[in-house]
Amino acid sequence: MRSAIVMAFCALLSGAPAPSPAQTVAITHGTILTITHGTIPNGTVLIRNGKIAAVGPDAQVVVPAGAQVIDATGKFVMPGIIDSHSHTAVEGSVNEISLPNTGMVRIADVLTTDDISVYRQLAGGTTTALVLHGSANSIGGQSQIVKWKWGRPLAQWFIPEAPRTIKFALGENPKSANFHPPPGVTPQYPATRMGVEEVIRKSFVDAKDYMAKWDEYDARKARGENPMPPRRDLLMEEMSDVLRGKVDVHSHCYRSDEILMLLGLSDELGFKVRELQHVLEGYKAGKEIAAHGVTAGTFIDWWGYKAEAYDAIPYNVALMTRDNVIVSVNSDSDELARHLNQDAAKAMKYGGLTEEEALKLCTLNPAKQLRLDHRLGSVDVGKDADLVIWTGHPLSAYSRVETTLIEGDVYFDRARDLANREALAREKRDRLNKEADDEAKEKKDKKDKKEKKEPAK
Amino acid sequence: MRRSRWTAALLLMFAAVALHADAPGVYAITGGTVHTVSGAEIPNGTVIIRDGLIEAAGAGLTIPADAVVIDATGQHVYPGLIDSQTAVGFPAARPVARRRGGGAPTQRSEQPALPETSAAYEAVRNVKLSDDDLDARRETGVTTIVTAPSFGIFNGQSVILNLGDGSPEWRVIRAPASMQISFNTRPAWTYPDSLMGVIAYIRQTFLDAQQQVAARSIYERNPAGNRRPDDSPAIDALSPVLRRELPVVFVADTELMMRRAQAIARELNLRPIYSGARQAYRMADELKAAGTPVLVSVKWPAPPAEKDDREDQPLRVIRDRQLAPTTPAALAKSGVAFALVSGPGKAADFLPGIRKAIDNGLSADDALRATTLWPARIFRIDRQLGSIDRGKIANIVVTDKPIFAKEAKVKRLLVDGREIRLPAEEKKEKGEAGSAIDGGWDLAVRSPGGDVSIHVTLHSENGKLTGTFSGDRGSGDIRGGTVDGTSVELTISVRAEAEANDWVFHGTLSDGSLSGTVSTNLGTFQFTGRRSR
Repeated sequence: MRSAIVMAFCALLSGAPAPSPAQTVAITHGTILTITHGTIPNGTVLIRNGKIAAVGPDAQVVVPAGAQVIDATGKFVMPGIIDSHSHTAVEGSVNEISLPNTGMVRIADVLTTDDISVYRQLAGGTTTALVLHGSANSIGGQSQIVKWKWGRPLAQWFIPEAPRTIKFALGENPKSANFHPPPGVTPQYPATRMGVEEVIRKSFVDAKDYMAKWDEYDARKARGENPMPPRRDLLMEEMSDVLRGKVDVHSHCYRSDEILMLLGLSDELGFKVRELQHVLEGYKAGKEIAAHGVTAGTFIDWWGYKAEAYDAIPYNVALMTRDNVIVSVNSDSDELARHLNQDAAKAMKYGGLTEEEALKLCTLNPAKQLRLDHRLGSVDVGKDADLVIWTGHPLSAYSRVETTLIEGDVYFDRARDLANREALAREKRDRLNKEADDEAKEKKDKKDKKEKKEPAK
Repeated sequence: MRRSRWTAALLLMFAAVALHADAPGVYAITGGTVHTVSGAEIPNGTVIIRDGLIEAAGAGLTIPADAVVIDATGQHVYPGLIDSQTAVGFPAARPVARRRGGGAPTQRSEQPALPETSAAYEAVRNVKLSDDDLDARRETGVTTIVTAPSFGIFNGQSVILNLGDGSPEWRVIRAPASMQISFNTRPAWTYPDSLMGVIAYIRQTFLDAQQQVAARSIYERNPAGNRRPDDSPAIDALSPVLRRELPVVFVADTELMMRRAQAIARELNLRPIYSGARQAYRMADELKAAGTPVLVSVKWPAPPAEKDDREDQPLRVIRDRQLAPTTPAALAKSGVAFALVSGPGKAADFLPGIRKAIDNGLSADDALRATTLWPARIFRIDRQLGSIDRGKIANIVVTDKPIFAKEAKVKRLLVDGREIRLPAEEKKEKGEAGSAIDGGWDLAVRSPGGDVSIHVTLHSENGKLTGTFSGDRGSGDIRGGTVDGTSVELTISVRAEAEANDWVFHGTLSDGSLSGTVSTNLGTFQFTGRRSR
């Protein structure tokens, strides 16, 4: 009996979907925004084993008997929103602030499964995120791509084939303009943009030395010698793997001069930058960014919040897009991560992106930035069934999410959420009442005991 | 008192001997219900103790002529309890103060520095047990503790101690018992100052230890032409851990922290034990499958004092704190090897915490196993301790009621076959009303602007400290006061200009005087206290 109750609690606790009994799900009669091949009015998406098995007009998609059907009549279906700049669900500080390069620390080690912001983001249609370190150091550490599988064990949040990523940071933050040590503690090197550049350069120079040492060791081993192995250094291993192209660099940056500095440094040292983060002055260097095959994740209309953000303009997204940079809008915020669709929509006003270009800003483009566009970012056969059902067009401020699915399982459903609220409120009340009753009883017992003792004296 | 006149006389003769002689005596504990733990209960049983060891236990035994008889008629006889996670005998860890929103602490710490710990830190060489520490544990029927500092990341090598009288060397059951690791951050701007940094630091330290083992082995075989490995005690101390000879106690309270510890243990092929584990109710079957022992802290999460603060908490937090005490029952049901422990709580939390676990579905028999035989097995000392069996160390506790009953009192206690005088008896003899902290104290806080005098009147009961204060900075009631052994904590609200601010005192009682630190809105200062006249 107790275990049944506990299990019921756990189910409620997680808000987890029971593993869907039907392996086949069909979303029917909806307006499907495929992102890659236009809009299908009155369309059906068929999901089998978590993947999109078919997509097309209702008439062309056969819904097998026994499939679980979600009627999306009058509603819009789009791929799950991808946020390429998140700090959600991190336990403890997002900054290991003690050293200029902390490339050995891993976000994967400190993710939590009970950050309510995850559920709120699902309610805004966000299904995948790149969780990054803060920007207190020039090299922050190993970031992590996750799906927001709220209620599931953490191990299931990871995408096994997702690339490894590392966060770099340029400008004010890593030079400690916005982070102040406690009194009596010497501020962290570096203190200037020159210093930031030097930290990154030196890290790679050291990594090359490190690789050479191991190469020499391997060579001697191959010759049948028994040499002392070099020290395994988790920071240097990571930097070496960046040089080997095994780790994608996502770099926080603002000003065009530092953007060009990083691109130059990547040429000089032979590493690749995958995505520039924030990149508010990207519009000044769009051609150079595109020429380096670098992508850009930015804010649509945040500016002026610090000196290096003074030259930001809302046309940045459109201008970089026209320079053939793959651009996304991302959040850097638990709050914004719940409505990235609205930031995407603003790019139609500021710079005249088309509807499809705007939708790509929070779907296919971030999927490309994360090198997961073969699995995510559009409603195409074979891709993960990460889908969001909206009451209206997602680029309208009046639309809201009805249902969010990841790999065919429902992780948010507005109707279910509303239906559960009363029971959850009642449970909370009951639990608090019981706690108060127990305490009152304990107090009374103590008092009785004392009174019983007193007369004996 | 049905003791015969003859035994009473003998007892008088032996009392001094039994308490102070070097050699432990011969005892027969008769007439009580003997809870052997390893076997069935023996009603009206006898336990015979000789030279510090259990010589026999059973019904109808012949009492040796040279035995001091302890009449336990109507009482209960148990093996001494083992509390296998404590920080007894070490300074208290201090929380790292952080500015709101993370980052820098509010004040540069002016507290005396804690010792630096590392894997090479040996608890056995550094532990300092005070009489009050001993009394506080013994009063709860605990005769054996596992202890290590709670500060630092590598807390060091823990030690298992018997809580007998005598020299520290005499008390040691096993050292080292485990390598203890806590996910404690260092102060801001010192690596590692974040949880992710701490985990990276632990991982790198173990890699360095692996490297050291490999380098030493190569160097031993072939010193010529190779650079000799550095002398590095903190790294070398991890060798027995890598060989899985020494288990690693990871202090991990939540499910996620246990999983983090598990990932590290798997990656490095360590022998883990999780301590804290108050969310283990969520993963009992997994723990069973992994074969990982668990030390469950019975310091259960408590609700906030204020009603409004409770209402503000999300349901999941309320649920979790109410489900935490179901952990022992869940682990017993799944067959996980576990022990109930007081750490990071205080001695006074131990028995009430165990009772709460029993209220939440744990059988009293399993509660007893989880404080005797099971911890002995987890730390592989079950051939010496954990049950009343022939040949085992004679740690025995006699209670007037079943040991986990609310009103139960410890009546007699033997450690290593010697009777220990209980603090309650001593108090009676000395005619003292309360503990060493009770009464009036004059505190002097050394602030940069000069000493601040505060007079406090304290009253202790069951580890709680109440009373009043008055002096330079106003007056009022003491809040949040606790006393555990020699460590004292209390909070007062002082007036500074128009504002009221909390001053939190952390002190240690020693030779009738108090000293420690006080955290205030103006910084952290030293204070001393002496008895008011």
